[in-house]
Amino acid sequence: MKNMKNKQILFFSLLGATLSFASCKKNLPDNRLSLADNTLYVQQNFQPVLGRNTLFANIVQYGSSSRPLDFKIINFRTFAGDPADELNKIYPVSVWKKAYDGTEKSLAEIDEKRAIENHPLFEIRPHSGELLMWAAANSNTLKTQPDSGYVFDIEMSNSGGRKYFQNFRLMPLKERDFEPSYLDPVLGQGTSTSVFPSAVNIVGERTGQNLGGSVRVLFNKVGNGRSITFKFIDTLSQVIDPNKFATTDWKNLVHGFNMVKTNTSVKFDVAYPIPLTDYPTRYTTVFGGQATSVFKFERKGFGDVLEKNFVALNYNIYKQGDWEVTIWFTGEKPKFDND
Amino acid sequence: MKHFYIAVLLVFGIQSLAFAQQQIIVTGTVIDKSDRLKSTLPDVSILEGTKVLGQTDRFGKFRVTASSTGKLTFKYVGYKSVTIPINNRTQITVSIEADNTTLKQVEVSSAGYRATSKTLSTGSSVVISGKELQGQPAGDVMSLLQGKVPGLNIQNNTGAPGFRGSVTIRGISNIGISGSGNSTYLSPTSPLYVIDGVPVDDNTNYSYGFQQAGPGTSPASQIPPEDIENVEVLKDAAATALYGSRGAYGVILITTKRGNSKVPVVRYNGAAFVSTVPQLRSVIGGRAESLFKINTILQNDSTQIHALGLINDTPFLADSLNAYWNNSTNWQSYFYRTTYNQNHNLNVSGGDVAFNYKVLLGAFDQKGIQTNTGYSRYNLNMNMIFNPSRKFRLTAQLNNSIQKQQTGSGNGLINGNVGGTGAQSSLLPPPSLFSAANGFLAQQVTENDGKVLNTFATVVADYEVLNNLKLSSTLNYTSITSTKDNFSPAVLNGDQSQFYTYNDKSTKLYNRTQLLYTYSIKEDGEDAHNFTAFAFTEVNANLFKADAILNQRGVNDQLRGPIVNINNYYTSLGGTIDYNDFRSVAFASQLSYNYKQKYIIDLNYRVDGTSSNGPNAGYKKNPAIALKWNFDKENFMQGFSKWLDYGDFRLSYGSNIQPNGTIYDAYGRYAGGPKYNGQTTVLQDLGILPNLDLQPTKATTLNAGFDISVLKNKFTIAFDTYYKQNDNIFQPKPLSETTSFASIASNEISNVNYGYEFLLTTRPLNTTSPFKWSLSANFAINREVLAALPDGLREKIYEDTSNPNLDQDTYFRLGTNSLSNYLFNTKGVYSTNGQVAVDPITGLPLRVGGKGLANYFRAGDPIYADIDGNYVIDDFDKVIAGNSQPQITGGINSLVTWKNWSLEVNASFTLQRDILNNALAQQFLNFNNPTSLGGLSPLSGYNVYSSPGQVATYGTPYDFLRARLINPFRYSQTLFQEDGSYFKLNSIKVYYNFNQKFTQKFGMNRVSINLTASNLGFITNYSGPNPENVTALGRDSSGGYPLSKEFALGLNVEF
Repeated sequence: MKNMKNKQILFFSLLGATLSFASCKKNLPDNRLSLADNTLYVQQNFQPVLGRNTLFANIVQYGSSSRPLDFKIINFRTFAGDPADELNKIYPVSVWKKAYDGTEKSLAEIDEKRAIENHPLFEIRPHSGELLMWAAANSNTLKTQPDSGYVFDIEMSNSGGRKYFQNFRLMPLKERDFEPSYLDPVLGQGTSTSVFPSAVNIVGERTGQNLGGSVRVLFNKVGNGRSITFKFIDTLSQVIDPNKFATTDWKNLVHGFNMVKTNTSVKFDVAYPIPLTDYPTRYTTVFGGQATSVFKFERKGFGDVLEKNFVALNYNIYKQGDWEVTIWFTGEKPKFDND
Repeated sequence: MKHFYIAVLLVFGIQSLAFAQQQIIVTGTVIDKSDRLKSTLPDVSILEGTKVLGQTDRFGKFRVTASSTGKLTFKYVGYKSVTIPINNRTQITVSIEADNTTLKQVEVSSAGYRATSKTLSTGSSVVISGKELQGQPAGDVMSLLQGKVPGLNIQNNTGAPGFRGSVTIRGISNIGISGSGNSTYLSPTSPLYVIDGVPVDDNTNYSYGFQQAGPGTSPASQIPPEDIENVEVLKDAAATALYGSRGAYGVILITTKRGNSKVPVVRYNGAAFVSTVPQLRSVIGGRAESLFKINTILQNDSTQIHALGLINDTPFLADSLNAYWNNSTNWQSYFYRTTYNQNHNLNVSGGDVAFNYKVLLGAFDQKGIQTNTGYSRYNLNMNMIFNPSRKFRLTAQLNNSIQKQQTGSGNGLINGNVGGTGAQSSLLPPPSLFSAANGFLAQQVTENDGKVLNTFATVVADYEVLNNLKLSSTLNYTSITSTKDNFSPAVLNGDQSQFYTYNDKSTKLYNRTQLLYTYSIKEDGEDAHNFTAFAFTEVNANLFKADAILNQRGVNDQLRGPIVNINNYYTSLGGTIDYNDFRSVAFASQLSYNYKQKYIIDLNYRVDGTSSNGPNAGYKKNPAIALKWNFDKENFMQGFSKWLDYGDFRLSYGSNIQPNGTIYDAYGRYAGGPKYNGQTTVLQDLGILPNLDLQPTKATTLNAGFDISVLKNKFTIAFDTYYKQNDNIFQPKPLSETTSFASIASNEISNVNYGYEFLLTTRPLNTTSPFKWSLSANFAINREVLAALPDGLREKIYEDTSNPNLDQDTYFRLGTNSLSNYLFNTKGVYSTNGQVAVDPITGLPLRVGGKGLANYFRAGDPIYADIDGNYVIDDFDKVIAGNSQPQITGGINSLVTWKNWSLEVNASFTLQRDILNNALAQQFLNFNNPTSLGGLSPLSGYNVYSSPGQVATYGTPYDFLRARLINPFRYSQTLFQEDGSYFKLNSIKVYYNFNQKFTQKFGMNRVSINLTASNLGFITNYSGPNPENVTALGRDSSGGYPLSKEFALGLNVEF
């Protein structure tokens, strides 16, 4: 009888065991992501220009590591090995919330697309490992070249483990408020005070020769507002009436508002930086990297040929202010009259 | 399925009341109750007590003299004995029923190496009677097993006649994939077929048609379903232990019919059936197509001027007066047709215990619903058993078949011409003498005829040397010759015809010699301790050789042969394209012990040597152990014996192997090289580095099972749970160039399948009801996990390189299902520009590639998840999504019988499977190029983005300028990954048996007719035409061969 009872116990325990046959899953590998040795940073040395948003894209080769990966900057230090607290602090920076597409009708509408957030000045994108420097960084807060700058490490992890990339160099360059610039990237000092425009097709009043080499552009920040003014001056710094550039598309010269055109200058209220983003608009170059402003006029040339004359400028201005862009005909006055 | 009961149906006039002990003459008929045809049974023994009175004749009639108050017992092999009191009746009709309840079959594994009673069988297996496979004409018998066996996953993924679908037992056992795009294929892991005791491997040389040059018919398809007695599916290691050398993927035993009637019986089964064209894609035709394309350009081009220019540069849009461009051709209609087909089988059998024979003549002919495709099969199968004494038996069997196959210009599974040409612009003129539509012509005039000749000869001799010691030897010779002629006429090949001819020969010599010894120790007069020792040796030699010739530049379409217009040997390309010589030898033994049939233990041990193993790998040893407890025989269960018919627990553990690769993978290969000093050199083939340690794939299975039957078989339940680990999965591994070899055969991959299987059979109606209803339901849950990759990798991506925009990669990652799709995660469609994510630092919206204006996402584009958060959608933003393998499969089968009628309904289902609907993606992609001559299907059924603010499922297909960059309908996205679960109505069969009295007037013993409708339809959420008609990797392409609905009218006559 006892035997029978034992068998009954065995019966029910077998029944239970069969039904709940927990297939020996403990031998199976975990579903973990891969973290491979062939993941690498293709750039070790980062030299952002301060005063503008800089994104170092495509610097990580994922190799055989599986996404999503998590990246973290750790251990900011100066080249000498001292702690670099300035890089761990957070600062208010201007971030984009909505896409700028060049169709905005007012400054307010543009401003609405941006917001102020607090961020460290130098950050890593958490999942792509891309590094970025916010425009709020300036040479007063960070060490700039020719200083040896900073050293930092990056930690990469996913469910497969973690991996460290060490001794990246961050060597910021001093601000250059506008491009094209005549400032030396390291020293921040200029060897001239003006730059060449992007293209010139204007002949001189005296010689009738193309003025290509003698037209210069001056960038001057004259106040702390949000405007840009275009002026034209001749060899003697006499103001040339902008109206003489008669066929210029003034309304679409820059993405600005409230144009004020006088006999001496043209002024727009604008949002900075110029251009606001790399998004291609009617105010920018084809791929959106620079704003483009073209001043045009037409005249009848030799042999009754219609000459389309212009001076074009592709440029960036990063620092907000009342900027004055002066186009200076240094060699000769431009010829506006018909032949 | 059936169970035992007694019924006396008719009692004809009790003419005289007889009294005790009076001897009277009793006549009557014995009917097979379990047969829906209500056939009579010949040779049924009739006993009174233990005295044999006689047996039924060929019509199932009997006439015996017995005591009027006595009892008659009717006995027949495989049927439950019935004892009936005579009660003075002189006319008795007796129905006896087969004893093949799913568990209590008298003999199972009759096609196997050793017959065991089900009570003593420790393995996990399911038997399907041949009766369930009849009445539905099929080129491939395996397709009929769909939904009948839990854990046997059959996907009839092609409708091409004679081709078989994918057959897997307990999940995939190989993760090898090859090819690209829609033609990405999974290495098949079909189970081992054992046909009448002889193993036939399905995975070598046959495979699918596309993997090799010859015709691709399955060895199982050479047997007509009408000739099958039963099919048994063996699943766990205990059941497959004896079939070890190639049993790693499971084993299917097929037993063909034998003769068992003293007087020759002639049975005819025939059917005429119609294959109908399934619903084809609807298309926008003619003028509507032209206007649609013009509007697309006008509304979406960058400028009006450019749009007009583009239209004017596109002749078929601009040239409205040209007859060539102004048609409305329904291309699909030229490729599909309804076909009328036939199937005939004539079975002659006879004999008794001492000598019996069977001859089957079969003819099956099916024309495919795609033109120029078809399959026909002719069989002459014979067997005879000579049993002169109790000690000696000789069985001889000869099966011959001819199979013919036409596949048009495709390979049977994929036909690019039908998919491609069928999707041409309707504006083009229909095919005619004057307009060469090459895809159409290729399908129509390409002569692509395959022929397979199969001879299968077996001799089995059994001899009982001593009492309980049996010696048996099986010798089989199989020869398969396949040819394939592919003639492509001049019109398709620049006015010079091309002739490809292929032939192969595969021979197999197989011998198994076995010794069986049984011994019992009695206890209280009954056999208590029962021992069975069984041992055998198995020798197998396979030779396969394939040759092909390609004759290019034929002089005309009439001369087919080596007459080509440039008379040098370069124009006749030919040679041996495949050669494989395989040997294997095995020693196996089994020791089985049971105590009063209560406790059973089986110990198996098998040693296998195969020629494709590396020389260092040696013999593989495969042990298996199995335990079973028939608890219904326990004393403590006596109290339940009223309702408990039987019950048992099973537990097994063991391993099997499957040879990998070829001998060249293990030993390398030499090939002729360039001349050196005037002598031709012999060099090592640098393609493969020999792997001296090449191992066969090894499957280790742990199985626990539970069977119970209650209330006189009213409810029968079988439950199994298993853990199956496949190690040493074969895959060539590329090598670094510094080794000078291209690759090495490696077997470092492992995967694991685990799951549960349920089989429930119920006969819910009372045994006295005029209706008999048997309902069976089964389902299996299978989970598959990748457990190891070569070189300790954790993951690996199989890159689809077919087209960078359409790539559908397969992701292998440890710890998850092996074959994961690797796709862009589509989360909908941007309804406004404002929804597009903006990079906070650059202010730029999400984009693809460079910074051109068209690269940025905007309203109407699909929302792809940006996995790495860099605001650029690129290849690194793909995610693991979905599993291309079905995870839950099963079926429901019902049989209702009432008087002369019976109705059988079979259904099957597949759940939790992801399908990539590439056909739909292609349909959308066609809109992206309005200046190309592609057909358009209306998108009315789809929620397509059309105006800002709309929450759509599919992005706009009309923005053709940006489509090239954004690629909104790339194949590799979750948008086109759909749930492929389906519930399928496989077949409905209605039988009617004519009254025997009526048919005997015409000299026919039994006549029945049946109406069968198969492939009737699906219940599914899948948006494509057919969730089953997809590749083994779950890709639905428009080039697949659709499954047709079939309607058959069958006639069965027995003379």
